[in-house]
Amino acid sequence: MPVVELNLNRIKKLISGSVTKKKIVDTLPFLGLDIESQDGDKIRIEYSPNRPDYSTDFGIALGLQGLLGIKKGIQKTNIKKNTKFEIKVDPSVHEIRPFVTGIIARNGKIDDETIKQLMNMQEDLHFGIGRKRKKSSIGLHDLEKISFPLNYTTTTREHSFVPLNSESKITIDQILTETEVGKNYGWVLGDSKNVPIIVDSENNTISFPPIINSAVTTVTTKTKNMLVEVTSLDKDAAEDMLSVVTTILGMAGFEIIQLIISGKKNSTPKLNSRVIQYDVKFTEQILGLNLNPSNIISSLKKCRLDAIQKGKKIQCTIPRYRFDILGPMDIVEEIALGYGIENLVPKLSPSQTLGEKSFLTKKLEAVSKIVVGFGFTEALNSSLTSKKVLFDFTNRDSSQIISVMDSKSQEHTILRDSILPGLIENLSKNIHESYPQKLFEVGTVFSKADPICETINLAGVMAYKESNYSEMKSILQSILKTGFKIDSTTITPKDNVAMFTNGRHSDIFVNEELIGSIGEISSDVLDNFKIRTSVVGFEIKLSGLIFD
Amino acid sequence: MSQVLHDIEKKIIDSLQKKSEQTPEHLSESTELSIDQIRRGIEWLRLKELAQVQESSKVEISLGQNGIDALENGLPERKLMKLIQDGPKTFDEVRKSLSGVGFNAAIANAKKNGWVTIDKSQSGSRISIKEKPIETPEEKLILLIGVKSIPEEQIENKLALKFLLQRPDYIIQNTEKSKIVSLTEKASHIDFTLSTTGAIDVEADVPLVFAARTHPLKDAIDEIREIFIKLGFSEIQGNLTQSSFWNFDALFTPQDHPARELQDTFYLENMKSEKPATSRQIKQVSASHSQNWRYNWQLSESQKMVLRTHTTSVTIKYLAEKKPDEARIFSLGRVFRNEKVSYKHLVEFNQIEGIVIGNNTTLRDLMGIQKEFYKQLGITKIKFWPTFFPYTEPSLQTMVYNEKLGKWVELFGMGIFRPEVTKPLGITKPVLAWGGGIERIAMLKYALDDVREFYNNNLNWLRTV
Repeated sequence: MPVVELNLNRIKKLISGSVTKKKIVDTLPFLGLDIESQDGDKIRIEYSPNRPDYSTDFGIALGLQGLLGIKKGIQKTNIKKNTKFEIKVDPSVHEIRPFVTGIIARNGKIDDETIKQLMNMQEDLHFGIGRKRKKSSIGLHDLEKISFPLNYTTTTREHSFVPLNSESKITIDQILTETEVGKNYGWVLGDSKNVPIIVDSENNTISFPPIINSAVTTVTTKTKNMLVEVTSLDKDAAEDMLSVVTTILGMAGFEIIQLIISGKKNSTPKLNSRVIQYDVKFTEQILGLNLNPSNIISSLKKCRLDAIQKGKKIQCTIPRYRFDILGPMDIVEEIALGYGIENLVPKLSPSQTLGEKSFLTKKLEAVSKIVVGFGFTEALNSSLTSKKVLFDFTNRDSSQIISVMDSKSQEHTILRDSILPGLIENLSKNIHESYPQKLFEVGTVFSKADPICETINLAGVMAYKESNYSEMKSILQSILKTGFKIDSTTITPKDNVAMFTNGRHSDIFVNEELIGSIGEISSDVLDNFKIRTSVVGFEIKLSGLIFD
Repeated sequence: MSQVLHDIEKKIIDSLQKKSEQTPEHLSESTELSIDQIRRGIEWLRLKELAQVQESSKVEISLGQNGIDALENGLPERKLMKLIQDGPKTFDEVRKSLSGVGFNAAIANAKKNGWVTIDKSQSGSRISIKEKPIETPEEKLILLIGVKSIPEEQIENKLALKFLLQRPDYIIQNTEKSKIVSLTEKASHIDFTLSTTGAIDVEADVPLVFAARTHPLKDAIDEIREIFIKLGFSEIQGNLTQSSFWNFDALFTPQDHPARELQDTFYLENMKSEKPATSRQIKQVSASHSQNWRYNWQLSESQKMVLRTHTTSVTIKYLAEKKPDEARIFSLGRVFRNEKVSYKHLVEFNQIEGIVIGNNTTLRDLMGIQKEFYKQLGITKIKFWPTFFPYTEPSLQTMVYNEKLGKWVELFGMGIFRPEVTKPLGITKPVLAWGGGIERIAMLKYALDDVREFYNNNLNWLRTV
């Protein structure tokens, strides 16, 4: 979950109503925001990835105003017309990154905290709805450094300019291979020969999307007027992003002015709101609340939406930046939030169904009971394990290994095809505990099939000086006979199986089908695990034996 | 005699009843017990006031280096007498032969014994025999001691001993402390023929043994399962490995969503499901994605096999197959996340998820089930906060007050499946879903603050928790 850091004094100011800090903190969770930590007036908030407007304190203040009843309904952002500011789109961008959109924000005040908040927003937009800048990306620029009209076009990788955080001109190639941001996001451009670029009328490079801006247009605390540009693979996605920025800059006190976009498939953004028809009966059906239309309207307005009654329906107006709202179900949620989750009273309707455990669960419970009865304590290991434990230490055949990709943990890289190695590892971690030690585990093991076969196995180990094959055979035999009522068990000696001692190991067959094996663990395997006592173990397949 | 005696104690008493005072070493011989067992037994008997121990010290006498020399070659004065038996000698001549064995001592003692005459002249002193030397008491004593070590009290001539002690390194005195064990009055009357045969010390320490048991986490899981059953839910089962189709696509997670990336999800290397769903299901889901998320949906992405990231993949598959009009079901089992393992995160943990479909399926009903569920667990201080899940709308999470931490912690989540999820799969009734991680609840139950403990299989913990 993405995180934003707020200052309560600043939030209080932005809300501009009489409200205590405590009330603000208490209300935050009811916007769907999780308080991660609080240190005095500093507060770290986790917000949902579907609400990029909450990536700044401006957006959160906007939401709080609604729930606290200070300002309700849509926050209107008027976009003033103009003819001065324009981006012309060159057809050459179509193959690489076909869309551009943008806006001009004027006469705002930018302090250090605002810069921090805007950077947090930019990062969130890039990572979330921008899909790591691949789908869309955004740039903020100091308007005064730019001469219009701009040109969104392409250039070669030899093109050079002074990028952000640099003092000298370097080529696009160098940016992609030598700078950190280039290395992190260069993949977005693939291996295309030409790359997208925004240049101004004096041919100065403004931005190399989606990688980096030029140094000259950097936004600082001296900046009053800004250009916002968004480039994208998808026109709607670009306008989604722009709408969030526009709303936030509007809330931050900027005057918003149109940026004309001209060129094939591109157009000047309108950022119009949408209307969704909402059927009142939904509130009762979904929430179990009998609210009259005016209650519903008031609840929606508290969520900074607009609504009016039209006959039996309610006409909801959704501002452009709330693209998370897809249909009536989302409207219902807004009603619940506006009404107040704390006002929803839980009700327990009697169940008319009888609950039941699955057949498998019942069987496995019975298995555990029997094995515990033989004095074995239950262990639990991960299905994801390491090659070291599963194959290397136990000398087992690893040709049918199933691996996961890019695991962050070295101990969890492959799926187990057997339970026994894990139990032996457990013994190795308990050599300081008193003996005898007897462990068992019931769990899923994996093998390659079409595409994967999952079976449930039972394995047990017994470790102490006098433990031996015959004792374990006697236990296993009793489990099968008295526990599972299986009479026709055949045990055949087996040689040269790496994990076990030669001559003290056998396969187990039921109705001529191999169901598992049993044996004394060989001394070199025990050495690998640094176990200094005798160990005997068994493993059998339960799937197909006591259930299908 | 109600006191129960240990075998060791019995043997010691028996031996002391036959011979009343013995050292521990003697007792070890007579009872054939080790010296350690004897020492322990004596200590027990002493505490029970059945035996007493007297410490005594004894001085042993043996010869030192010079004493042994005197035993073999005679005392220095005897050697001197041998040198002058053939006629008088000058001091210089005698000193040469006696060097190192105490010339001065030889002269002084021979003189004291009245054996020699010393004539002083200008050419030096001469020494000659005055009378024939007899055996001195000191010489007798040296012979008596010999190479042995004898108790001081056996020596009668104390004066000779005193003289020899004054001379350097002739006599070694060794003080040996020893213990003498004897029975108290009470013990001397113990009659073993009358005591209960086979009685043991019922108060003695015994080793701790441990009962075999099912895993504590399993117990917590079973408890939670029972509550679901009590609430009218029936269990369904499904695979841990799933196609991306059922883990993500069927749940309306767009194919370029960050949650689907390698860094959050375990993809199985080179594993794909040729036909993850029916053609109709694939067609409908694909259309829902393309229409709502506006991108080009790929079958190949949905074929990739993953370790399920939630049990919802099992639930949704069940619903799509059976399309029940009314049901309460749940699915419980392991789920996987590609995370760094820490005290609060595991790569593999258990999740439970319940589904209500049919009548009484409002958000308030769902909240009511939650409340009852927590009540069954003994948790009554709960509240609900809004939250976000990609496939439910509206979505809530339960906050539970943790008395120990003194704060609200997040437990189960809940919500109503989005129509974008249900419609394409032909599910027409509203579907309520609720659930979450089980380890979190189990941690509260066992007061653990490190979730890894559940999978360490530390016997000390398993045996005693």
